[in-house]
Parts: sequence; structure tokens; C-alpha cells
Amino acid sequence: MTRIPIEDGYFTVPDDPTERPRLLGSRCPACGEHFFPRRHVCAACLAEGCEDVELGPRGRLWTWTYVHVPLFAKKDRRVDAYGVGQVDLPEGPRVQAILVGGRDDFEIGMELELDLETLRVDESTGDETVIFRFRPLAEGAAR
Amino acid sequence: MRIEGAAIAGSGMVRFGNHRDRSLASLARDAGLAALHDAGMTLADVDEAFVGYIQPKVLVGVKAMKELGLTGLPVTHIENASATGLVALREAAWAVASGRARVAMAIAFDKMTDMAGGGGGGRGAGRDELDSTILPAAYFALWAQRRMHERGTTPEHFAAVAAKNWNHGALCPMSHRRPDHTVTVEEVLASQVIAEPLTAMMICPADDGAACVIVAADDVVRARQPGRRIVRPVASVLRSETYSPGHTFLGPVVGPATMTRDTALAAYDDAGLGPEDVDLAFCHDAFANEEIDYYELLGFCPEGDGEKLLMEGETTLGGRIPFNTDGGLIARGHPGGPTGLAMVHEIVQQLRGEAEGRQVEGARTALAHLVGGGSVCTVNLFRAE
Repeated sequence: MTRIPIEDGYFTVPDDPTERPRLLGSRCPACGEHFFPRRHVCAACLAEGCEDVELGPRGRLWTWTYVHVPLFAKKDRRVDAYGVGQVDLPEGPRVQAILVGGRDDFEIGMELELDLETLRVDESTGDETVIFRFRPLAEGAAR
Repeated sequence: MRIEGAAIAGSGMVRFGNHRDRSLASLARDAGLAALHDAGMTLADVDEAFVGYIQPKVLVGVKAMKELGLTGLPVTHIENASATGLVALREAAWAVASGRARVAMAIAFDKMTDMAGGGGGGRGAGRDELDSTILPAAYFALWAQRRMHERGTTPEHFAAVAAKNWNHGALCPMSHRRPDHTVTVEEVLASQVIAEPLTAMMICPADDGAACVIVAADDVVRARQPGRRIVRPVASVLRSETYSPGHTFLGPVVGPATMTRDTALAAYDDAGLGPEDVDLAFCHDAFANEEIDYYELLGFCPEGDGEKLLMEGETTLGGRIPFNTDGGLIARGHPGGPTGLAMVHEIVQQLRGEAEGRQVEGARTALAHLVGGGSVCTVNLFRAE
């Protein structure tokens, strides 16, 4: 059984399932601005040749909502309701993603961490297709 | 740059709604003929056409134009998500203002009921799949939640926008939603929660429809329509996003709010007008919370005063600056491409003084705003002579 990212080049999938995944972003060597996802031309200063960096895995919730209709990509997974948020990474980028948790688990400004969620399992190989999510940082988690 | 020498010759539309049983071409034909009849023209009079539609189909625009005739005219496709119709009009207005065409048509049609799951989703794999996993309502709800956090805005404010637009729709024969009773804030709040704090009645319907506007040189309109009040597009600005820190690149996002402010300032500057000159306005109210932000970003009140302007009734018919007199996207409907041209259809009637039952008295200047896919914004100003 292997965990396979839904798309290469957006996030890491650590071999050790207890290790947090990280987002694959870019840093401009000229002005230092960070981006997610990866890009070649800096959006701030237009310099070419941004460098690959890993971002996260923690960030702060800028805004969020809770959606009460089925997930858009219904072919992947059926859920009754889910959170969506925009998360500010310490490096600068604001990332929009599905949130893991219940209706009352979120508040603006709280700290979250990146996690992987299984979208589907290949029944013949047991391989899991995974996507990144953010979840509220567990109480008392090591900083 | 101000648009000089161009005037609206005619406009027409197919009432938005569920037209599952009709082809795109037949919707386009009916809207095109309505505008041509209004202008007193046939396709033989039209030098150029700009065709707006959102769905990815090769040459569907050129094929639909054949329903109106085969005259050899150049046809150009326009796709800018929800802003498509107004961008088609922009091209038509400039084709005439530049002297390249004497008469230009902007026409748009779409069937949202054909699109898998609604706008923006369900296409392709890979990055597209990452991009489309979130419902459109959710990302505008993110904006609403942030405003509630920063400004103390409440769901009642968003419901008041929606109720106003539903009630405006009741007065407009071209509105999809024409409630048979006065819609209240309580009724809007009691409808199904889609993405908190947005309820179903705060969200535009997924519509099918078509709309068309014909722009012509001033002298053409004067010669063909003696005695009719001339309505001119005087400014049309289109902008995409400017980078600022915290920009969200991946996923359906609403784009920075400043995009609307920058676009509006440029349009006012081009026209030599200011918000104080505008008698009525139209905005991208696909989600009710947006309208309050646009009151501020379009310059109709200071930042933070949007709720006050709304609750004092200033943006309702009869108020200082009525917004979305035809019901807006929430009531008149939002098939995608045609939406902006439906706005212009209503503006033409209002500025001609022909908007029976919902006329803004003495209206001379109107503004039409749309954002598209959160990544583009267009602001257009129209003036009656």
C-alpha cells in the first residue's frame, strides 16, 4: 500500500505517516517573496527563476466557512458538510483548502496544521490517493 | 480613455431561467433578433460581432451567429467568466468608437444547467481537480465571514440585500425570480444554509439564457431612431488582479477586493464622472454579501458604511442610489455570459425612461460592474443625453 498525491508537485507525502506533510512552494531569490503553488516568475518583482521550497506545515486561519451541501468533486468522496478556510502560512502565502473538523471547531486566528486525507483507495493495489487538508492543531501539541 | 461617438442602438434578451429543452443557438437567435428589432436593423447592418459564452465548446459562437444570417462579418469569442457579457460590450463599443465598425453587436448565451455541478467545477483532472473541489458559494462565504469578523456585519444584513433584490425582481418582467409576495429578511434567513452565513435565497440561480446589445455610431442611431433618447457607453474598464502579499493562487478564489476599487476609479476617470453623478448601479450580487462591499468599493459610501447605506434604504428603488433595479443576479438571474448584457438591457430601459413600474426618476447615468472568476473586474458607465 502506497500513498499517492492527487497531483504531483503540490505537497509532500512523508513515508512516515506520523510526520506532517509540507506544501511545495517557491521563493524568489531576488525579493524573497514566497508562493504556493510553485511558480517560475516572481509575482511580486517579476524576477525569473524562483527556487523550490517547502512551506508549512502550520498556519493561522484567516477566514473560514462551513458548507452544508455535498463536496463538489463528488466522484472522490461523499460527505454531508465540511469546512473551507484560507490559511496564512508563516512564510507569507495564503492557502485555500478544505478543513478537517466539525462546525464548531474553527475560529479566525486559530493555528492549524497540514494533514493528508485519503480520497479513494485502489481496491486491487491498496494504493491510497491523498489530498492535503488543514486541521486545528491538537491541544498541547509540541511547538 | 472616454468612449466617444458610440451609442446603444438596441437591446434584447431571453428571460433567464431553465431552458433545458432549448439549444444555445435558438436562445442566441431570439436574443439577437430582439436586439435587432429594437434597433430597427437586420444582420446586414452589423459590421462586427463579439460573442460571449463560458462553456468550452469550439466555435459555438460562430455557429450560433448563423441563426441570424451568414453575411461574412467578423465574429470574435469572448470568455471572462461572469464578466463575459460586459467585456463583449466593451469590445463592441470600442470597435465603433475606433471607427473600425459603424455597427457592432455584443451577444452572449449560456446554459448553466448543462454544466456539471454548476460554474467552475467538475472539469478535468490534476490541478483542475485541486482547483475545483470547493463550491463557489464557499469562497464568497469566506469573504462574508471575514467582513463579519472585521465590521460586525450580521447575516441579517446579507438577508436584507437578498430581500431587496428579490423584491426588485418582482417588478421586472425579465426577472427569473418574480415573487408573488414581499420577501422578508426572515424568509431569506430561514432558507437552507449553503455555506455559512449564506442561505439559498442569498445566492443567484444557475440559469440558462441569452442577451444582446447593439452599439452603433451616434449618427447611425440618430438617423434610424429620431426622437428616441440616446444612451451612450462612455467608459468601460477591464482589469485583472494586481499582486499583493497573501494572494491566493490555487483554488476558486474571489480575488482581492481592491480590484473593484481600482477598476471603478479608472472608469470614473475615463468618463470624467464620479460616484455622485451615478443615478443607479448594477453589481455582481451572485452572493448577497458582495453587494455591501461593492457599495464601498464603487465609491457610493465610505469604507465601513455599506450596512448603513443598505439599511437606510438608499440602494432600494426610491433611494439615493438604487442597486440592481431588475433584481440583480440573485433575482433576474445569472446564466454566466449573458448576465452583463442583461444589465445593459435594463440600463437602456432605465435611461430611456421606459422602465415601467421600477423607473428611477430622472436617471441619466448608470454604472454596471461585474467580476469574473474572482480574477477580472469590469466597470462600465452609461449616460443618456
